[in-house]
Amino acid sequence: MTGLEELKTKILGALPELDVVIGWEQGYDALNATPLFIRKPEDVERLIIGPLCAHNLATYLPGLKDKKVGIVVKGCDSRAVIELLQEKLINKDNITIFGLKCDGVVNLNKIRKKIGDLGQIRKVVFDSGIITITAGETDHQLKFSEVRMDKCDTCKYPNALLFDHFIGTPDDRQNGIEPEHISDAEFEKMSLEDRFAFWKQEMSRCVRCYACRNACPMCVCRDHCVAVTRDPHWISQENDTADNWMFQMIHVMHLTGRCVECGECERACPMDIPLMLLRRQMNKGVRDVFEYEAGIDPQGKPPLLTFKVEEDNIPEREW
Amino acid sequence: MPVYDGKELRIIGFLCNWCSYAGADTAGVGRFQQPTDLRIIKVPCSGRIDPLFILKAFQGGADGVLVSGCHPRDCHYAEGNYYARRRLELLKRFLPVTGIDPDRFEYTWVSASEAPRWQHVVQTFTDRIHKLGPSPLLAAPLTDAEMAKLQSQVEAGSGCGCHK
Amino acid sequence: MRIGVFVCHCGSNIAGTVDCEKVAAAAKDFPDVVYSDDTMYACSEPGQQGIIEAVKEHKLTGVVVASCSPRMHEPTFRRAVERAGLNKYMFEMANIREHVSWVGKDKELNTNKAIDLVMIAAEKLRRDKPLISKKFDINKRVLIIGGGVAGIQAALDCADGGLEVVLVEKTTSIGGKMAKLDKTFPTVDCSSCVLGPKMVDVAQNPNITLHTYSEIEEVGGYVGNFEIKVKKKATFVDWEKCTGCGLCMEKCPSKKSFDYFNEGIGTTTAINIPFPQAIPKKAKIDADFCRKFTKGKCGVCAKICPTKAIDFEMKDEIITENVGAIITATGYDLFDFKKYAEYGAGKYPDVITSMQYERLMSASGPTTGHIKRPSDGKEPKNIVFIQCVGSRDKSVNRPYCSGFCCMYTAKQAILTKDHIPDSQSYVFYMDIRSPGKSYDEFVRRGIEEYGTEYIRGRVAMVYPVGDKLIVRGADTLAGSQVEVEADLVVLAVGAESAVGAPQLAETLRISYDTYGFYMESHPKLKPVETNTAGVYLAGACQGPKDIPASVGQGSAAAAKVLALFSKDQLESDPQTALVNAARCIGCYKCVETCPFGAIKEIEDRFGNAKAEVIETICQGCGLCSVTCPQSAIQLQHFTDNQILSEVKALCPSMMEKS
Repeated sequence: MTGLEELKTKILGALPELDVVIGWEQGYDALNATPLFIRKPEDVERLIIGPLCAHNLATYLPGLKDKKVGIVVKGCDSRAVIELLQEKLINKDNITIFGLKCDGVVNLNKIRKKIGDLGQIRKVVFDSGIITITAGETDHQLKFSEVRMDKCDTCKYPNALLFDHFIGTPDDRQNGIEPEHISDAEFEKMSLEDRFAFWKQEMSRCVRCYACRNACPMCVCRDHCVAVTRDPHWISQENDTADNWMFQMIHVMHLTGRCVECGECERACPMDIPLMLLRRQMNKGVRDVFEYEAGIDPQGKPPLLTFKVEEDNIPEREW
Repeated sequence: MPVYDGKELRIIGFLCNWCSYAGADTAGVGRFQQPTDLRIIKVPCSGRIDPLFILKAFQGGADGVLVSGCHPRDCHYAEGNYYARRRLELLKRFLPVTGIDPDRFEYTWVSASEAPRWQHVVQTFTDRIHKLGPSPLLAAPLTDAEMAKLQSQVEAGSGCGCHK
Repeated sequence: MRIGVFVCHCGSNIAGTVDCEKVAAAAKDFPDVVYSDDTMYACSEPGQQGIIEAVKEHKLTGVVVASCSPRMHEPTFRRAVERAGLNKYMFEMANIREHVSWVGKDKELNTNKAIDLVMIAAEKLRRDKPLISKKFDINKRVLIIGGGVAGIQAALDCADGGLEVVLVEKTTSIGGKMAKLDKTFPTVDCSSCVLGPKMVDVAQNPNITLHTYSEIEEVGGYVGNFEIKVKKKATFVDWEKCTGCGLCMEKCPSKKSFDYFNEGIGTTTAINIPFPQAIPKKAKIDADFCRKFTKGKCGVCAKICPTKAIDFEMKDEIITENVGAIITATGYDLFDFKKYAEYGAGKYPDVITSMQYERLMSASGPTTGHIKRPSDGKEPKNIVFIQCVGSRDKSVNRPYCSGFCCMYTAKQAILTKDHIPDSQSYVFYMDIRSPGKSYDEFVRRGIEEYGTEYIRGRVAMVYPVGDKLIVRGADTLAGSQVEVEADLVVLAVGAESAVGAPQLAETLRISYDTYGFYMESHPKLKPVETNTAGVYLAGACQGPKDIPASVGQGSAAAAKVLALFSKDQLESDPQTALVNAARCIGCYKCVETCPFGAIKEIEDRFGNAKAEVIETICQGCGLCSVTCPQSAIQLQHFTDNQILSEVKALCPSMMEKS
């Protein structure tokens, strides 16, 4: 991500027409970024971009549906915007998109696993694929490729796919892309029994905090989420494995053909439950059956909202 | 009622009112004998069947779930089964990810007149479920081995990402 | 809630393999069940009375009947529940006959299963809410599709009943297949003499609007208020001006046009009136043959026409008709006899279809009623009729019996003898099916008085020798091979669904079988209704039928429409989708997927986008409920909670928690 000054200029230019522009600023320390809501020109100074800006800001858009909103997006974030537009959950007329080219964002959990919890971080520097983290007087150096988010390993869309302003020059990077996620290979080797036990164990850890749901840009139901209502009453509020499992099934089924794999659910999960594994596997089915990827074409139609009389990839039922 | 011990397994069917439920009726009128395991829940259209109902049944320990609707092109509501087909096909492909044997779930099309076909579907599916045996249970308490694994994870500090 | 459970023995139908007392006893322990009993015949008068009394005595607020399929008696019991003073939707049925007692023999397992089914019915009932039907006005006009004899009869009956009728016919004249027939069985009366006056009545009835050479393009709306788009195809003749004088036909230079009315026996002119008795008697240009269209010059008809009715620039036109009910009387088509290559069909000119033969015999036909064989115009002496061509033959995917071929073949053999007294007719048949009134006597007369020779067996092949055709087949009664030397071979072609019937069914949203015939609502008890409210069937579109049956169905369908329109308002089925506006986020996924356009986009008083169901259009499929991620739109009587409660009832591990 480059072009911070260019971005600032463009935001300043657009701000008079907008109620708010959403970007990122530094959080409580140098390693943590946090969403920034720019309302006044002086707010723009706090704006940052870079590998720490992991948040998918599109999550805020449906809640600001009737406001004039500017939003800064990475490639993956832009897919969420496109998907929301496709589903008419937001109105393009109200949105100004500042598109970035992204070189990957960090996964703080991975950093924490490598260097432990260091307390207050003073400084973070990214240079030539190395991230240098300064806590106290000590420098810690890590390879960026080892601490970036899983989704960045296989990123096909580094550039914002939809934008009103593009910052910098688009990246034509298409190399190093694995068709399937690397970490899924191991899962796919597991037997059905092992998978069932795996999820049972993972779901037993779920605390049903709904962070995964709240972070998800596609979970637009918010207060009306069927996981917490009595009518309909899908699951009890008891925090047990079976109901946790069912909650996660509701989340993944409601994302069928809609999930843009931004990874916010997994990033938000305080229990490190591999939620993206479920979503990637579901998306694989969507790709196989409908040759469809969510959030690519604003004119596209989510596969479950349409049909073909003769489906290309669904075999006739044998009995 | 619990399933009949040793003789039956819990099989839940979701049938559309116009074709498959009527087909099951026709099978009854024709006295086409079937295994007794299946319990049928009637819905107006296969398009009414949320794949989550099926997952809910598995959550509750169903050993098999069968969905049946009108043949494509014959939907009483013109298009319901086309949508159902997409949802159900994706569910079937997703089930193995959860570790639930996809053979425990089947969807099929049976018309109001296809009594022998309905009998065949029920017989084949019931036989298949009996071959697979009871479903693994989410609701059952963790086994000792699972408990030990969880314990060791908590001790190793990987059980919970936010509190270390 | 106070639930009463009634377990029906259905004589021994259920009680034979289900312990009904035990089921009733088990039901007593279900939540909210305050009364439970078993009864011999729940649907009988005393059975229903027992339910009504129990409702009153035990202050029941909901009723479960465990008996036969709800598709059988749900309406019966709903009425009983209503008579007892409850809302008729506070009722559920457990199907312990078709789904239990009739399909399993083990009494223990059956009883256990029956208890389960009663339990899920009770669980669903606990979440039922009283539903009240909405009333809406009816547009008392009826659309009749197809102007054959069934459609004509339906149109006349409806018009006589005071209804406005819109009759749409795809060819240029009404009359259908019957207009092509020479005589009809078993009375041998002149077909057009019987039908002609009815056709004229249609033309003259002020209540009937006739659109010929028109097709149904689009059907919107619902029972009581359909909106129909009708495509009036271009005839290239302004029918307002055309007087049917026929001068154009005399002068038209393109005289080799295919004669559809005469089944291709003989030819006609490119501009033509199909037959002298046509209603309306108007000319149409066949653009495939007209020189103005094929070669770009001619226009003789335009010059000669005394009223200047010819309009080569005419375009198809779409008009809209609003009606309250639809009668489909689209009839049938004849099997393509060319599929029987072994009979030389389509190869030898003297192998013809029964309908072509009908035109040869007709006084209004191309030979003015003199039977002449197509190849050389000679009068045939030996005529062989082959039956079941495209009927009862799995090899051509026509396993069904067309029903009327036996009779018309008998008639044609008799008429042949009348036309050519020194002729001899042979009929190869599989079985003679003549179950109608005076039908079998008619066939006997053919055999005994007219000397028609019936040979039971199938024909293996037909081949020419000189100017004769040799018909070789088996005589299964004599157990020998036979060969008949024929001058003319007539194939008794069977009926198949009309061309385009499945497409029309899709437009009308009615079901059809694998052969394209339309499905009636119930094979015995609802023969002219379809499963789509307000759409009725008449005649051979529902299955092969002879004239009396078609006419009967035409009248029956008309009676159904008249009964429907006897009220000023209709009640809609209240089992429709309902939006919980508080939960709706206005994403309109439901609007996008609704097959009926029954959901509209509205704004609430705060200007928030919301969805709203148009109750009278909603058909109650529930597709929207699944499409809506927050389940804000729920199909009433089949809500998420109701289906979930049924699932939970069947999965005991979840029962306690919910």
